[in-house]
Amino acid sequence: MLRRLFVVLSSFLAVHGYSEPVTAPEELQTCVVCHGIELAGNQSVDAPNLSVLSAWYLKRQMQNYKQGLRAPHGSKDHVGREMAPLAADFGDDDMAVLEQYLADIPVFNAPVTIRGNASRGASLYISCSICHGADGEGNPTFNAPRLAGQSDWYLVRQLENFQRGIRGNSPEDLYGSQMRLSTSILTDRSAIEDVVAHVNTLKRGDH
Amino acid sequence: MAGETGTFSRRTFLNWVGAAGGSSAVYQASIALGLLPASDAVADRAALPNLDGARRSVVILGAGISGLACAYELERAGFACTVIEASNRIGGRNLTIRRGDVVDEAGYQQVCDFDDHPNLYFNAGPARIPGHHRLVLHYCKVLGVPLEVFVNENRHAWVHDSVAFEGRPVRLREFVTDARGFMTELMAKAISPGDFDAEFTEADAERFFLFLRRYGDLDENDVYRKSGRAGYAEGGMVKPAVYKAPYDFREILKHEFWTRGMHWTAAEDQAAPMMQAVGGNDQLVRGFVRHIESPIIVGAPVQSIMLREGGVDVIYAKGGASQTISADFCLNSIPKHLLPGIRNNFPADYLKGMESVGRGKLMKIGIQMAERFWEKQDIYGGISWTDQPIEQIWYPSHGIHDNKGVMLGAYVFNAGTCLEFGRLTPEERLARAIAQGEKIHPAYASHVQSGVSVVWHRMNHLLGCTAVWRRDTRERWFNRLQQPEGRHYLMGDQISYHPGWQEGALGSAHFALADLGKRVQAELGGDAVHA
Ligand SMILES: Cc1cc2nc3c(=O)[nH]c(=O)nc-3n(C[C@H](O)[C@H](O)[C@H](O)COP(=O)(O)OP(=O)(O)OC[C@H]3O[C@@H](n4cnc5c(N)ncnc54)[C@H](O)[C@@H]3O)c2cc1C
Repeated sequence: MLRRLFVVLSSFLAVHGYSEPVTAPEELQTCVVCHGIELAGNQSVDAPNLSVLSAWYLKRQMQNYKQGLRAPHGSKDHVGREMAPLAADFGDDDMAVLEQYLADIPVFNAPVTIRGNASRGASLYISCSICHGADGEGNPTFNAPRLAGQSDWYLVRQLENFQRGIRGNSPEDLYGSQMRLSTSILTDRSAIEDVVAHVNTLKRGDH
Repeated sequence: MAGETGTFSRRTFLNWVGAAGGSSAVYQASIALGLLPASDAVADRAALPNLDGARRSVVILGAGISGLACAYELERAGFACTVIEASNRIGGRNLTIRRGDVVDEAGYQQVCDFDDHPNLYFNAGPARIPGHHRLVLHYCKVLGVPLEVFVNENRHAWVHDSVAFEGRPVRLREFVTDARGFMTELMAKAISPGDFDAEFTEADAERFFLFLRRYGDLDENDVYRKSGRAGYAEGGMVKPAVYKAPYDFREILKHEFWTRGMHWTAAEDQAAPMMQAVGGNDQLVRGFVRHIESPIIVGAPVQSIMLREGGVDVIYAKGGASQTISADFCLNSIPKHLLPGIRNNFPADYLKGMESVGRGKLMKIGIQMAERFWEKQDIYGGISWTDQPIEQIWYPSHGIHDNKGVMLGAYVFNAGTCLEFGRLTPEERLARAIAQGEKIHPAYASHVQSGVSVVWHRMNHLLGCTAVWRRDTRERWFNRLQQPEGRHYLMGDQISYHPGWQEGALGSAHFALADLGKRVQAELGGDAVHA
């Protein structure tokens, strides 16, 4: 609490007309090297925007990495393999710190980089919306993460990973394997880009 | 080989002779006119005005070689500098690893377990200093960093290819000698004196054949039979020498060594003699630190860089809290691929330029060996080459005849291989490197005591190595990124035509300093008029 107060104070005092980023606590310093300040993502190092995600979702993904359900040893999920050893080191205490930090930072919208046919994507998205919500806001009841504002290139890669069985191929990864089945409606790369182009049009974050 | 092909290649060759004659004529003329290409290296001392009491502040981001050189130069000219470094270690990619050092790789921290001995280290980043890298050498001199010779090529070292010579390593000297012998014999056979055009006189032709004979060590009939250059099979000291039989040229052609390693030291940056700092190349970093009085704030990752009229505001984190620093200028060496993750108000195209430059990958594995077994095989320093993923094995140039030594068990340039190694645990990487080393040195594993891998694209706060500039990105973005944006300068070896070399980092630093100096000079001139 004290730390938050300090942050608020120091940004209040900032003389130049921009808001000061919320400093990540020591436990999260490695996270922001790749995922960027306030976890807003950095495509140059393949790191998605975490600011849109909820703690319950990140907690499960960290668990999946740890248990080898996501990007296990020898997996073709090469970028996931970059993450896996970091997740292995990430304890419950760290998770609690991350949860607090997510509450402290704004939700960022990642820049748009994908050019797809959003109107074609809209009709494809109808079945996605059942779990992820019409606005891509996500739904914890269905274990579906928020999509709106997420790095579009990341969504494309994950959809491809699901389709190719690189992600969600372990039956123990309940929601991952569900997702893997759901991607069967996306028949080719352009369908994937179209649906992501539609996600890019959804009501975005507060920043 | 079909006769047609033979004729064709001979004609091609003769055309080439003509062309070479032409260009050499031009070259001679240029020497006569004093037009030899001048180096674009900046003068040793950075051109900075002396402030003489005027106040100017500079915030320097990153305490790598470029950042340190800027602090050193600026404070001598009277500027107030602060260096801000994310890591707890000063030096950036200039990294020497010794006992107890922490290798700060994201997710796989290693602690070096070499013995505590001044010679038991390896240079995980810069290892070689060529004689024409004037700025690096200048700073070594003025900072009191003693240098010693670094062996970059060793004819006694091995070259190995899994498919040539049935996977047996052969000595580099045999390979090169036989390759030259075969090539020159072939040329001598294929060309007769009458083939040359009129400009090539009979005397020229005679010297040409003599050249071939000397170059390839051919006999008086221009046949390559044997050469002492390959080393003797036995004898040669107190018993008569027994020559080695030349290898089958087809095995040489199969070999990967000639595609790269054989010509490695022909490059200006790789040519003998080369140097290294006595006791490890991070002595250059230590030399800078000894001579810099400005604060170098470590463990302080930059969070935000905001350009404004008349200056730059930087926010960094220190111990979980944030600090703001405002300065008249900012010199920024943070790797360009990390900058999009830092809060900034850079113009969109400036940022796009940074994002367009690729993120390079390199990997080294240092291994402490209980015994310097290679010296028993006549190998004192230098490099053995292999077509296996480890690519190279280096023998230390220092600590000759010590009991132990730290060798480089892998130096991987191939980006795909780097990624592959990077996905393994440090133990698995080491095990792979040892298994591959066995193919060159039987019983290699029995000497291994401990090892450390440095996978540069996974190193914390760097996440990459040599900036990868394609030709089109160079044309489109280099000038944009080299020029300052307001009072912010992007620099480091990434903003040079020599990425992957400290000379590039220093050249870029001096380029930025010269521009900054000119601006301040102009500002001070204005002040002087006022007064
Ligand atoms: C494997 C390898 C082999 C090499 N071989 C040679 C050689 O033989 N000879 C040679 O001359 N050169 C060699 N080099 C190149 C040499 O290491 C570099 O050219 C030089 O060290 C680059 O210096 P720099 O200042 O430009 O950048 P860096 O050393 O990369 O400095 C950048 C600094 O920015 C810091 N930073 C990152 N993020 C932040 C942040 N958010 N806030 C604050 N600071 C931050 C980093 O921690 C780092 O200290 C080699 C490099 C490698 C990796």
